[in-house]
Amino acid sequence: MAPSHRPLKPAWFHILLALADGAQHGFAIRDRVEHVTEGQVRLWPATLYGAIRDLVEAGAIRALEGDDDPDEDQRRRYYELTPEGRRMLRAEADRLQVLADAARAGSRVAGA
Amino acid sequence: MTDGLVRTWTGAFRALLRLLPEAFRHEWLSRADAELEELLERLAAERGWWAVTWAGWCACWDVARAIPREWQAALRRRHGRGARGGGPGMGEGIMNWLRELRLAARGLLKRPGYAATASLTLSLGIGATVAIFTVVNGVLLRPLPYPDSDGLVVLEHHAPGLNLPTLNNSPGTLRFYWQEGDFLESLAGYGSGERNLIGGERPERVEILAATPSIFQVLRVQPALGRPFNEADAEEGAPPVAILTHQAWTTRFGGDPGVLGRTLEIDGTVTEVVGVLPQGFAFPDQGPMAMVPLHVDPEGTFGQFGTQSVARLAPGVTLEQADRRIGELQARFPDFFPNLEQTFLDQAGWSASVKSLQTHVVGDAVASTLWIVLGTVAFVFLIACANVANLFLVRAESRQKELAIRAAMGAGYGSIASGFLAEAMLLGAVGGLAGMMLAWGGVDLLLASGPQDLPRMHEVAVDGATLAFAGLLSVLAALLFGAFPLVRYAGGALASLLRDGGRANTVGRERHRTRNALVAGQLALALILVVGSGLMFRSFQAMRSLDPGFDPDDILTVGVSLGDGVPNAEAAAFYQQVADRVAALPGVTSVALTPSLPAEGNYTNGGSFRIESKPREEGTLPPVAMYKAIGADYLKTVRQPLLQGRDLTREDWESGTPVALVNQTFADRYLDGDAIGQGIKWDEEHAFATVVGVVADARERGLREDIEPFAYLPMVVGDWGYPEMDRAMVMVRTEPGRTIPVSAVRDIVAQLNPSVPLTSSRTMDEVIAEEMAGLSFTMILLGIASVVALFLGAIGLFGVISYVVAQRTREIGVRVALGARGEDIRGMVFTQSARVALVGVTLGLAGAAALTRLMGTLLYGVSALDPLSFVAAPALLVAVAVLATWLPARRAARVSPMVALQAE
Repeated sequence: MAPSHRPLKPAWFHILLALADGAQHGFAIRDRVEHVTEGQVRLWPATLYGAIRDLVEAGAIRALEGDDDPDEDQRRRYYELTPEGRRMLRAEADRLQVLADAARAGSRVAGA
Repeated sequence: MTDGLVRTWTGAFRALLRLLPEAFRHEWLSRADAELEELLERLAAERGWWAVTWAGWCACWDVARAIPREWQAALRRRHGRGARGGGPGMGEGIMNWLRELRLAARGLLKRPGYAATASLTLSLGIGATVAIFTVVNGVLLRPLPYPDSDGLVVLEHHAPGLNLPTLNNSPGTLRFYWQEGDFLESLAGYGSGERNLIGGERPERVEILAATPSIFQVLRVQPALGRPFNEADAEEGAPPVAILTHQAWTTRFGGDPGVLGRTLEIDGTVTEVVGVLPQGFAFPDQGPMAMVPLHVDPEGTFGQFGTQSVARLAPGVTLEQADRRIGELQARFPDFFPNLEQTFLDQAGWSASVKSLQTHVVGDAVASTLWIVLGTVAFVFLIACANVANLFLVRAESRQKELAIRAAMGAGYGSIASGFLAEAMLLGAVGGLAGMMLAWGGVDLLLASGPQDLPRMHEVAVDGATLAFAGLLSVLAALLFGAFPLVRYAGGALASLLRDGGRANTVGRERHRTRNALVAGQLALALILVVGSGLMFRSFQAMRSLDPGFDPDDILTVGVSLGDGVPNAEAAAFYQQVADRVAALPGVTSVALTPSLPAEGNYTNGGSFRIESKPREEGTLPPVAMYKAIGADYLKTVRQPLLQGRDLTREDWESGTPVALVNQTFADRYLDGDAIGQGIKWDEEHAFATVVGVVADARERGLREDIEPFAYLPMVVGDWGYPEMDRAMVMVRTEPGRTIPVSAVRDIVAQLNPSVPLTSSRTMDEVIAEEMAGLSFTMILLGIASVVALFLGAIGLFGVISYVVAQRTREIGVRVALGARGEDIRGMVFTQSARVALVGVTLGLAGAAALTRLMGTLLYGVSALDPLSFVAAPALLVAVAVLATWLPARRAARVSPMVALQAE
C-alpha cells in the first residue's frame, strides 16, 4: 500500500506508537512517550487527553471495557489500538521512512 | 518547600481546567489533576523545585492553549448535532468573538514587552486584592460552620459603673434566661480552659471545653459516634464523661471505632469517652480537644460572671428584637435574685445585649483591620488599572495608522471597539490568572506571617467565591482600562482619523488631559496609602517606645503545670523547688514565679474588693481592681521598680503572713497615696492583707491597655486560696546575651515529677512581640502596598512625561533654535510634571484626611490627622515625582534643534 502523504499530528503518532505494544492508561502513555523520545516529546494533560479523545472519535483507539483491576482507581481507563489505528500508525511510519530514506539519499548525493 | 510548589501548581492547573468545556473536562480529564500531582511529586523527588516549576508551567500553558480550541470544538459539535432552536446567531457571535480574541492574542504576542508589562501590573493588583479578599471572605463573610448559623447569638452584660464594660454570664443569669428567655429557642453556657491530660507518652496540657448539654441543640450538631451529653451528665456528682473531637480521636486513639467506653485522665479524674464529634466540627475555635459537661448550680446566684453563652434565637425573632427583649428582661433581675437591689444595678449602669456569634468570634478590631487592608489593596488595584490604561492609550495611539486603514476600508466603530475590547479582555484574563496564582501563594504567606490569633484562620481557603471575585476583578479591570480608547474613538473621532491619515502629529489636548488625570489620580491614591502607612509606622513607634514598666530583655519564661487538685501549699513548694534548681543553672541571675505573665492580660483574678479603713457606705459601688500572684524575687527578675516600702519575701508566704503590694495607680486612686499599712481583701472570708509596698505601674493587662489599679499578692499565704496554683510561669533572667535552653528546665521538672508537663516556653521579648503582632502586620502590609503604589505612580508619571517630551521634540527644537537654554527646557518639563503632581497631592491629602479617620481603632498614640505624616508623605511623593521627571527632562534639555527639525 502506498503511504499516505498527509502527515499525522505528532501527538497522534506518539500516542499510537505508545499503544503499539499493548493497552495503556493515559498517564502511562505520557510516560512512555517521554521515555521513547528520550524526553524530547512531553504530552501535557490537555493535549494528551484532547488527542486521545480525537483518536477515539476517529476510531483509531478504543477504551477497554470492564477491565477493572481492583487496586486501580476505577476511573483510570485503558486504551488499545483498533485495526484502523494500527493501519494509521503503519502508514505514518512508512511515510516517515520514505521521507527519511529520501533525506539520507539526498545527503549522500550532496555529500558525495 | 517543593510540597507547597506542587500544591500551588496543581491548584492553578485545576483552576484552569475549570475553564474548559464541561463535557470534555468531565469525560476525559477527570484524572488529569491527580496525574499531574503525581508527576510533579515525582519530579520534586527526582529533580527538585526547578523541574516542578517548569513542568507545572508547561501543563498550565498547555491547558490555557486548549481553552479556545476546545470551546470552538465544543460549539461546532453542538452546532453539528443540529441544535434546532439553539440560535445559530449566538454561535456565530461567539465564533466572531473567538476570532477577535485570536487576533488580539496574536497582536499581543507580537509586542511581548507591552503585553508582559500590562499583564504583570494587572496580576500584581489583582493578586494582592484576591489574596486579601480570600482572608476577608474566610474570616468575615462566610457564615460560621454550623447549621443555620445566622440564628446563633451570645448574651452579654455591661456594667460600666463597675469598670466592667463586658461581662459574660453567671450560673444565675443562665438560669434566668433558661426560665425567662422567651426570645431564645435554646441556650448553652460554656467555658474552655487548659487541663492536664495524662495517658499519652508525655503528660500534656490541653484545652478542654466544658459546656452544658444544651450546646448540642444550640449548635444543631450530633456526635459522629456515641451519644451527646444528657441532663444527667451535668448534674453534680455524675460520673465524669467526655466527648472527643474528631481530631483527638484520630490522633490519640488512631480513629479506633471501639473508643467508646475507654478512659482519659483529665486533671487526675478518670473520665469515660462517650462520643466523638463529627469531622471538621470545632467550637468555639480549633483549640479544645474534648468536651466535658458543664455543671450549672441550680441555686446559682447573680455573681461570678465567668461563663460564656451561646444561644439560638427562637424562629422568626430578629437580632434587633432579641436585643430589645433582653433589655426589657433586665428589669426582672431584682425579683429573680433576692439579694440583688435595683440601686446597685442602676449604679453599675447595668445593661444586657445580644450579639451575633459571628461578630463575637471575629471581633470588631479584626474586622476593621481586615476591611482597611482590603481597601488598601483595592487602591493598589486601581493604581495598577490606571497604569495599564495609560499603556493602553499609548498603544492605541501607535495603532492609529492601522485603525485609519481599517476605518477607510469600512470597519465601523463596533468592529474597532470589539478589537480593543478583545485585547483588554485578554490582558484582563491573563492578568487575572497570574494574579490568582499570586493570590494562592500570597494567602499562605499571609497566614504564615500574620498574627497567629487571627480568628477562623483555618477556615481561610480559596473557594468558589474567591474564584468568582478574581474573575469579576479581571473583567472590571479590563473594562476600566479598555474603556479609555473606546470613549476616545466614539463619536466623530474615527472620521478625524481618516482625515489626518493617521499621522503622528495629532496631539490632542484632550488626550493629554485624560492621561494627566490618570496619573494625578494614581499619585493621589498612592499618597493616601503613604499617609496611612506613615500613621501605622508612627503608631508602631509609639508602642515601641512605650515603657511597659518592666524590662523584658533576657527573660525566658517556661510554663509548668501541676493541674487542679493539688493543695496550694504543696503546689507552691513544688514550683519553688523548680525555681530554686533553675536559679542554680550557670548564667541565671534570678528566677521568679507567677501564674500569669506581665503584658499578656490574661487575668481572671480580681473584681470588687474591700479596704479596711474605708467601710463601704450603703448604696455606693465598691472599688474594683485586678490582682495577680507572685513569688519571691519577682520584682528583681522583671526589674519593676519598688517605690515605697519593701518587696515580698519568701518568708512572707512561707510564714503565711497576709501581705500585698499595690501599684502607684492603686495607691493614688483608692488609698489616697498613703498605702503602706492599709488592709485590703477581695474575699469576704479572708483576713485583710496588709499593703507593705508600692511598685511602679506596669502594663500588666496588655501594652495597649490603660493602666488600672493593680495589686500583687504572694503566691500562697497559709490557707489563702486566692492565687490559682494549677500552673505557674517560671521567669528566668539570665546574664545579658546569655540564654539557657528550655530543655534544661524540662529536665529539672522531669527529675522532680515526670508527670508534670511544660505548657509553653517563650522569651519575654517574644511575648511583647506577640502583643504588637497585629499592629506590625498591618504596618508591613500597608508599607508594602504604599511602596508598590509609589512605584507604579512613579512609572505612570515617568511614562506620561517621557511621552509628552517625545511628542514635543519638534517644538522643543524650535525653542532651542530660538535661543531657549537647557534650564529653560528642563523648567518647562518640570512645570508640567509639577502641575500633575500638585493635583495628585491636593486630591490625595483630601482623600487621606477623609479616610484615615477609619483607621482610628488601629492607631495608637497618634492622631488620625498626625501633622508629621501629613507633611512627610507629600514630601516623599514630590521627591519621587522629581525622580520620575528627571530623565525625561534631561532628555528634553539635550534636544538638538537640527535633529528635531530634520525628524519631520
